[in-house]
Order: sequence, then C-alpha cells, then structure tokens
Amino acid sequence: MQALAQFGSIIIQLSTQIGGTAMLLAQIFRRLAPPRFDGAEFRKCLFTMGYKSLSIMIATAFVVGVILVIQSFVFVERYGMRSQLGWGAGFVIIRELGPVLLALMFSGRVGAFTAAELGTMTVTEQVDGLRCLAIDPISYLVVPRFVAMIISLTSLTLIGNTVALFSASIMGDLMLEVDHHTFWSSLFSMLTPADFMLSVTKSALFGGIIAVNSCFFGLSTTGGAPGVGVSVNKTVVFSAIAVFVVDFYSTFVLG
Amino acid sequence: MIDLLDVHVAFGEQDALNGLSLHVSDGALLGIIGPGGCGKSTLCRVISGLVQPDFGEVFVHQTNLRQCSRQQLHVVQRDIGVQFQNDALFEHLTVLENVSYPLTRLTTLSCSEMEGRSVEALATVGLAGFENRLPNRLSGGQRRRVALARACITKPRILVCDEPTAGLDPQTSRTILDMIAGIRYQTKNTVIVVSSDVVGLFSISSRIALVWNGQIIEEDTTTKVRQSERAEVKRFLDDARLPFAGWTWD
Repeated sequence: MQALAQFGSIIIQLSTQIGGTAMLLAQIFRRLAPPRFDGAEFRKCLFTMGYKSLSIMIATAFVVGVILVIQSFVFVERYGMRSQLGWGAGFVIIRELGPVLLALMFSGRVGAFTAAELGTMTVTEQVDGLRCLAIDPISYLVVPRFVAMIISLTSLTLIGNTVALFSASIMGDLMLEVDHHTFWSSLFSMLTPADFMLSVTKSALFGGIIAVNSCFFGLSTTGGAPGVGVSVNKTVVFSAIAVFVVDFYSTFVLG
Repeated sequence: MIDLLDVHVAFGEQDALNGLSLHVSDGALLGIIGPGGCGKSTLCRVISGLVQPDFGEVFVHQTNLRQCSRQQLHVVQRDIGVQFQNDALFEHLTVLENVSYPLTRLTTLSCSEMEGRSVEALATVGLAGFENRLPNRLSGGQRRRVALARACITKPRILVCDEPTAGLDPQTSRTILDMIAGIRYQTKNTVIVVSSDVVGLFSISSRIALVWNGQIIEEDTTTKVRQSERAEVKRFLDDARLPFAGWTWD
C-alpha cells in the first residue's frame, strides 16, 4: 500500500512538472504574438548566455572533434577509409554529437545559472516585487531568456560544429595523414543541406527546452537557499532527459 | 479603502486564511499582529494582489481583485507600495537604482527628476550618501530602509509593510517604525504594517488587528484592543509585552 502511495506521489509530481512547463510554454507563446518583452533584459541575456559561453563551447567542440578522430583511427586504418573520414566526422558531429553535447554543456552552464538566478529572485520575493510594480514576470524575466537561449544555443552549435570539424580535420591530417582537401571534399560531397538543417532545428529545440525547464523550476522554487539547490538539480536532470527524448523524436521524424 | 469579505486561502492542505474579513478606512495606520504562521503575511499578499483568495472577495478602492482583469489589477497594484519581509532588493542594482526602479517602470519622469526624487526618498529614510552602494554592502536595517524608500517612491495610496522590523535590534526596529509613522503623517495615506514588534506597533498605529488561525479575532483602536476581554487577545498581549522602564500601553 505504501509503495502504491509512493508511486502515486511520483506520478502527481511528474504530472505537475510536465503540466507546469506546458502552461509556462503556452504563456510564453501568448507573449510572443505579438512580441512583448523587455529589450534590455534580452540583450543582457544574449551577452551572458551566448557570448560568455563561447569559450567553453569552443573548447568542448574542439575536444569532441579530436576524440572522434582518435576513436575512429583503428577502423579507418583497418578498412582504409581515409577518403571517408570527412563524411564520417561531419555526419556524427553535425547531426548528433554537436547539438546534443553542446546542449548538455549549455544546460549545465546556462540552464543551471538561470534556475539559480530565478530561484533566488523567487525566494527573496524579488519576483513578487516585480509583480507589485505591475511588471509581468513572464514578459520581463522568462520570454527574454527563452528567446536568448534559443538564439544562443543555435549560434553556439553552428560555431561549435565548425570548430569540431576543424579540429577533426587537423587531427586527421596529423594521425591518419588525411589531407584537408580530402577531408572537406568528402564532407561537402556527401552531406546534404538537410543534415545542416537538422542540426539547427535540434539545437533550437534544445535551447527552448532548457529555457522552459530552467525558468519553470526557477520560478517554482520554494524553501529558501536549499530550495534553490533543488531547483538547479532538477533543471539539469530534467533538461538532460528532455534533450535525449527530443533528440530521439526529432531524429526519428526529421531523419 | 480596503475591504476583505470572508477570505479563504489555502496552500495545499494548510489553511492560511480561514474566513477573514477586514475593513481598512482611507488614511488609517493599521497594525497587524498575531502569532507566527497565523496568516499575517498571506493577508498582506492578498491585499497587494499577489495571492488570489480561494473564496471570498477583496476590494481595493472599489475594485474587486478576484474578478478584475489583469490590466485592472496592474492599475490597482500601481497604487500599492509593498515592503517585503526579505527586502526584495535587486542585488545587481545600486541603492539609488533600486529606489528609482519603480519610477523607471511606472512613470515617464525624466532621468534627473527620477534621480532627484530617489535621492530625496533616501534622505527621508536617513540614507543620504549611500546612493552608489550595492545592497550587499548594507546592514539589515539599512536594507529595510532602502526597501521602505522604494515602496514609497511612487507615492502609493496604500503602503503595505510586511515585517519591516524582523531580525533587527530594538533600536533600529523602533527607528523603522517611526519612519513608517512619519511617512503616514506626511502623506495621509493608508498604511498597513505587519510586525512582531507588538509594543512598537501599538505606539504608532491608529488601529490594531489581531490575526489568529487565519481569522481576525479583534480589530479596533489600540486602547480598545488592549482592554479586550477575549482570552486569546489577553494571552497574546501578555506574551508580547516587553518589560522595559517607562513603557505604558496608553
């Protein structure tokens, strides 16, 4: 009986969270048609979320490209697939690794920061302070972050993919003696614009998911400072799960 | 004028307000007292339009907050200044920016006018010269005074102060309450103060309301509340009385 009660409690919690994020998403879309949000807050978010994440994203992407070539070294050597290295690296990086890994990094850095920031504002009554000044917290706090995260993650993924491909190309030249021309020509001859579009679509979706999750958990924070920690934790966990679920469906549906 | 009629608010299974009714006349300085967890802060949040009651009606200047549109609620909220229990200062803004923030959002004043009014408000609460400090460089009492200056900056017709003296030493606590009384005296606006400093609140308020288990069990002038024969009122006032020399209830 106790197990059943626990199961029921988990289901209720999960439904509350999924329902809450869906409601928040609906409120965001309502304020986006026509767009009603704070321009200054949006520019500040773009700077802190996009520009300030650039270095860590570039470093991550560079390492991803290098590791990819090191991992494929044995098989490329064994089957003599040097001319296919650019296509293989490009296919994996652009369609899958780039968007997913960078989204997870983004969730850890920007999503967690946003949840902590909004959580602190909630428990210290700053959000109520805004409401008392007749400032809608969704328009002022959530919508700028939502739009900024989508734009930031999409741009960072495009930059990250490029960096990862460059590092893979350099590593291929050093380890497998695949010259840059062979690498890039195999990449461009076998990848289609649809592959690049898939990457952009995925990263935009991931940016939206991380934004909604972090804002929802941040604004629903209760219980003072420990509550902020719980919200950050939930944001990172739920964002990671949501990224993988959406990755599965988007790959399945969009090819 | 504020009217609350049979207001019920529950958080989960916990009743915060349980059929509370209250009338506050224009220009009154109402002190709200009561034991911890009795619903005082929830009452402040209901009056400020931050919490919608589950049942009952809330009228602020003839606007029913339960049935009005979001735009109408915003109009009412512009006329209510709230000083929160946790100060609710924006930590990334300086003291001056914190105080002038409501003006930047709610008025069309020029920058110099806003700055002038903010500096004046800071001087009123005794914080002249603190304009460029960040909130994390202020003491608890100074933070409360900044929050008070911010709550009053738009000259709201209703000022709601939720525990403005919580966690402060008796002297600072008394200074803050005196400032609130001074603001009420100058503006003649309605002021509602929730405080655990019962002695201080009795000394500045025109009326006192005692909240008990989510209901107002006594609401009258300070003298009449003190003379109340209700057992709960007597017990609460006896528990809250601070024995220091020279203090008299009258």
